[in-house]
Amino acid sequence: MDEGYANLPTSHLLGSVPAVTQDDRKPSPPAAQDAAATSRLQEFPPAPGGNGGGYRPPGGPADGDVENQADWKGYFNVASYAPYFNVDTDVVVDRLISSIYPMDGFYRKIDANPDMYGPLWITTTLVFMLAAFGNYATYLMQNKKDLDIWNFDVGYFSWAASVMYGYAVIVPAVFFFLFQYFGSRQSLVRFWCMWGYSLFVFIPASVLLLIPVEFLRWVIIALAGGASSWFIALNLKECTEGADLMVLMASASVLQFALALFIKVFFFA
Amino acid sequence: MSHNHGDTIPLHPSSAQSDMDEIESLIHAAPSPATVLPARPPSPTRASIPVSSSPAPVPVTTKPPLPAASIPISVSVSPVPVPASVSVPIGADGFGPPPNTLTEPVWDTVKRDLARIVSNLKLVVFPNPYREDPGKALRDWDLWGPFFFIVFLGLTLSWSASVKKSEVFAVAFAVLAAGAIILTLNVLLLGGHIIFFQSLSLLGYCLFPLDVGALVCMLKDNVILKIVVVTITLTWSSWAAYPFMSAAVNPRRKALALYPVFLMYISVGFLIIAID
Repeated sequence: MDEGYANLPTSHLLGSVPAVTQDDRKPSPPAAQDAAATSRLQEFPPAPGGNGGGYRPPGGPADGDVENQADWKGYFNVASYAPYFNVDTDVVVDRLISSIYPMDGFYRKIDANPDMYGPLWITTTLVFMLAAFGNYATYLMQNKKDLDIWNFDVGYFSWAASVMYGYAVIVPAVFFFLFQYFGSRQSLVRFWCMWGYSLFVFIPASVLLLIPVEFLRWVIIALAGGASSWFIALNLKECTEGADLMVLMASASVLQFALALFIKVFFFA
Repeated sequence: MSHNHGDTIPLHPSSAQSDMDEIESLIHAAPSPATVLPARPPSPTRASIPVSSSPAPVPVTTKPPLPAASIPISVSVSPVPVPASVSVPIGADGFGPPPNTLTEPVWDTVKRDLARIVSNLKLVVFPNPYREDPGKALRDWDLWGPFFFIVFLGLTLSWSASVKKSEVFAVAFAVLAAGAIILTLNVLLLGGHIIFFQSLSLLGYCLFPLDVGALVCMLKDNVILKIVVVTITLTWSSWAAYPFMSAAVNPRRKALALYPVFLMYISVGFLIIAID
């Protein structure tokens, strides 16, 4: 871990936190590396005619020639993932809002600057909300039925974490490989970004699912699942740009709806 | 055997012995200074060290220079260890090397660490004039305090739970420990400037109010009281963590860095309320 932080500009400062000036996010690399980093964002994952090797972290060592040797070290270097977190508060809020509002401008927003901040914290928030509100909702339902056997189920945390993190990481990767297999070149980071933001609609839905009326719960989850699937389908269509892969898009939507149903059945029973 | 012995005429008379005998005879014979002295340090330094306080088994019989005549060394055969590697517990009386923390009494070490925990706690969690200066607060960070607070919170939650006690502890510990690491990485990835362990230390110390809250909730099992207590301690924890985290990142990304901190504390607060 030490080596990763040697690249950060503050490693020479011991025990003090310098004040942040207005215009420095990463002070040492000048605009050249920023440009290189963002340009490499377009290439990620590796180019079709290229080496076909594994994941290439962009913006690792400053020079492109050194990358062959230092390639594997880029995985463990925190600074090499920093370009994916290059967003401000207002950008994130804007993306969140456009993920639930049914317009199709989302993909254009993330095309130039896909971020991993959104997916990471949306899934984490969802884990906590599902566990917390799921417990509370089952408590309310048991209260209504006048049963006295409710216990706080800590297992909800583990289940929520496994399901949400697994879904958010594995499903986009699988679809990425399927798209590659059918010949359409996509970007894995954009898929992760898109699927992550598609889960945002479940956060207000899980708050609403506290209402202990069973019929209303089903309506709410159907609406949320539908909105999320619609979002996925729309954005997949836009990013694949006419490649005729309706099967994949349909299956992605169905999977999203299945996730919504699973959330209802497992956590908000 | 004598027949074979006569065939090969040894060049050196001592090779008639077995190897072990040869070695022993060499030891017992008068050694040339060149072979022995390099292993021995200059003597005067040794003489000043009070032998009575030394627990190190320095064989006294080998101290004086080996005489030319062979003296049977019965104590030890190996050359005397160089004293630089032997830590003689001299203490702070000014003699020899300065006192090192390896040789002080355990109570001194514990007292020093406790004092540091208390002073860090006062700096981070309680109002004091240095709070707003991230450089001063937690300059002397340590990880013992956070460790105690996290484990204490896990234990308290585990005691409060009526079922699945060990899973409750596991979830609490994992959320807090992994959460602190991930929060720090989050700030670093957003382009902020913090020291990794200093931030871990701070997030651990800010758990102290929640510890107090969890203890109160364990002792008194009223839901309304729990909600009130947890709300108060939650705001206290967040207030403690706020200046450090917000100063570490670009102001345009302040909310992005602070939100996960609140998320973690709120989820722990919820655990405290809901565990029954």
